[in-house]
Amino acid sequence: MAEPEREARPADGRRRRSAASVLVVILVAFVLGALLNAPAMKRTALELPYGGERSFRLALLNPLAAMSHWFFLDRPAKLTAAALDRPDPGPAGDDVVVVVTPSPRPPKKPHAGDANRPLPAPLKGHPMHLYIAGDSMMGLPGMALVNLSRKTRLIKPKLDYRISSGLCRPDFFNWPAQLQQQVKKFNPGAVALMFGANDNQALQTSSGDVYQFESDGWKKEYRRRVRDAILLLLDGGVRRVYWIGLPVMPGATYNRQVKVLNEIYRAEAATHPEVRYIDAYALLSTDGGAYTQYLRDADGDMQQVRETDGEHLTYAGGMRIADAVVHAIKQEWLARRSPAKGGSSREGSGGAKSTH
Amino acid sequence: MLFPTITFAVFFLLVFVGSWLLMPRPGLWKPFMLGVSLLFYGWWEWRFVLLLALSAVVNQGFALLIERLGPGAGRKWALAAAVAANLGVLGWFKYYGFFVTSFVNFAAAFGFNADLPLLRVVLPIGISFLTFRVLSYVIDVYRGTLRTASLLDFAVYVTFFPYIAAGPIARAAEFLPQLAAPRDPRRLDTSRAFFLIFSGLVKKMLIADYLATHLVNGVFTTPGQYTSLETLLGIIGYSVQIFCDFSAYADIAIGISLLLGFELPENFNAPYTATSVQDFWRRWHMTLSRWLRDYLYIPLGGNRKGRLRTYLNLMVTMVLGGLWHGAGWPFVFWGFLYGGALIVEHRRVDARRERALSVSVGRERRAILAACDSLPGAAGATVAPVAPAIAYDKRPWHGGVWPRIGVFAFVSLAWVFFRSATFAAALDVLARLFQSWGSIGAAVTPGVLLAIAVGIGVQYVPRSIWERGQAGFSLVHPVLQGVVLAFGFVLLDVLGPTGPAAFIYFGF
Repeated sequence: MAEPEREARPADGRRRRSAASVLVVILVAFVLGALLNAPAMKRTALELPYGGERSFRLALLNPLAAMSHWFFLDRPAKLTAAALDRPDPGPAGDDVVVVVTPSPRPPKKPHAGDANRPLPAPLKGHPMHLYIAGDSMMGLPGMALVNLSRKTRLIKPKLDYRISSGLCRPDFFNWPAQLQQQVKKFNPGAVALMFGANDNQALQTSSGDVYQFESDGWKKEYRRRVRDAILLLLDGGVRRVYWIGLPVMPGATYNRQVKVLNEIYRAEAATHPEVRYIDAYALLSTDGGAYTQYLRDADGDMQQVRETDGEHLTYAGGMRIADAVVHAIKQEWLARRSPAKGGSSREGSGGAKSTH
Repeated sequence: MLFPTITFAVFFLLVFVGSWLLMPRPGLWKPFMLGVSLLFYGWWEWRFVLLLALSAVVNQGFALLIERLGPGAGRKWALAAAVAANLGVLGWFKYYGFFVTSFVNFAAAFGFNADLPLLRVVLPIGISFLTFRVLSYVIDVYRGTLRTASLLDFAVYVTFFPYIAAGPIARAAEFLPQLAAPRDPRRLDTSRAFFLIFSGLVKKMLIADYLATHLVNGVFTTPGQYTSLETLLGIIGYSVQIFCDFSAYADIAIGISLLLGFELPENFNAPYTATSVQDFWRRWHMTLSRWLRDYLYIPLGGNRKGRLRTYLNLMVTMVLGGLWHGAGWPFVFWGFLYGGALIVEHRRVDARRERALSVSVGRERRAILAACDSLPGAAGATVAPVAPAIAYDKRPWHGGVWPRIGVFAFVSLAWVFFRSATFAAALDVLARLFQSWGSIGAAVTPGVLLAIAVGIGVQYVPRSIWERGQAGFSLVHPVLQGVVLAFGFVLLDVLGPTGPAAFIYFGF
């Protein structure tokens, strides 16, 4: 770069530039780009797990975002986003992100009675609505569940999975708000949920306290969030929740964390008669409970059940979970289906007609 | 480390400065470039850095051995050992599960319980590209078209970070000579580089990822949820997605290399404007096509051993090309479809050539006989046969528009098998094309239609227009260039997806 600059224009019409010129272009693009894009960069930093890296990035980005705001450099991105109906790029200046998660009404006793109420039998014209939600682990299992449940012609599924999401970080994706909204919009009779793959991280309570993963405070707060999610659904008229636990994982540390999470889901599910716990850990492990990449299907064919990353499920692996969920649904919702096509009174659960 | 991230931007800025500062001193520059390339690769999975190092050392050992052995059987055996070692490593990481499960299920079909160990094998990113790169080096040394490089030069070639994950498959003969002398820091083709990088980001973030999340992923995994029109658009959308995704990586890799002073071969040339399947493979993943041609098709005999052997060679090349992409029977079938299509096209051209030849020979013969008859005392004289010059249409398909549409339809159909995990899943998608034409479907949105139109339309824009744009940008002052790029990046961030998605070809 110390060479004297000699910029020429060859036959292709493009003027050649020196490395020093390139450095100028890169630095200008980098610095100006950082200032123009500071809110989005800050948003990305805020979404990181609580810890050293997040604090370090925020320490750098807070002044940058403030400067961007003072000099109106954050406006082009915000105005463009607003004009094109895109999400706001991120918090301006020193704004603090406040996430409001809806809380369910205090648990009411009738829930116990609701569980014993007969479930409305789905009919072809009035299928039971099944809302399927979760993080990336729910991707292919959710798709398998959609395909399998559709085959019954009595279930109308809707899949809604969000990569990198979970219950720990409503500031990244607010699942309680999403569940509440979808309950109103889709009116599901049953919900299948799978969370936790990204929840092996610290969380922050509404009072601002940060609890590290596996601490007593963390377990208490996380279980409360699981309970709130269930109660939100039940309050919205959902009759059954199929809570799918996490499958066995290849790494010892991650697998131990998965067991901690599954214990919370299983314990909380046990306290609600409307909730069924689907043990994905057992479904995806060997007879001895160990991790495996391959399992035999019902026909005895060997199948790869985990993706090459070892953690996410293949479609065949997802199908094992989907099978278990549909089996549970069939037992409760379809087993007593009357061949006489039932009555006409509509229930609030998924628009399914009751035969009772 | 993914290209469209802040982490990579910081990494590249540091590498750029370090690279040009050290460039005049190759003794320092080469270890530096090797180090940063290993860091780039190790960012994904540091354990596979050892695999790269081992690949460089072992293949350099084979190349030196081949060079020293001289002509003879030993040289051939050394080459065979090198090919077997590299394909063995590739087979272990990429095809172990595929072969073992296929074998176990095949044995089970005949009542045998083949209890083979089913291990968890993690696929190193870019291993297929790595294998082809190092094989090009060893084979070229064997052929005598390339001299062995130093271990350090070869290691830099093997690990060069811009192309390490997903190509282009630059051959040793193209890259190593560029290491012979320091690159000139005064004559960088910067406007082309910035254009490639920016257009790559646009293709990846605004078209490929958008189509994937808004249409394609859903259509290919839950086809029952989509109407026939949505399914049709999903199939076309995947054709656009895979082009925009893969060519984006190649463009960015070429652009970054240009900024570091290195030329990489082009990998795409408007593939969906192809008028035949042969033409398509001259435009799609060009570095793979020519690798398969030069290191597989031609050594198999190419078209030199008769018509049937040519067709067989085409089929073998394409099926193995399909298997190179992924471990699964749908990939094999994808290759089979292309092998079949190439055979059909060759057959058409061959038939046309034979007709032209017979007409031409007949005309020649008549002319010669007439000439002979007219000569006094020429009866009984022998005439040496002369190969006649024949003229015939070498294009497999006539016309301009219909062949393009036909080739695009065929390529899109083949992509269905490429994208689907199983045959059953592919057939589900295809069956859905005929099951639900009653409504349009919610996934048919202006955004999806625009992304598809732009993804195909840009391939029909004449190259001269892009070149004029690059020439114009090259005249702009560097500060202004930086300002334009900064606003461009912001626009990408606003319009693009929330998080960067991995490139499709990372899985290959």
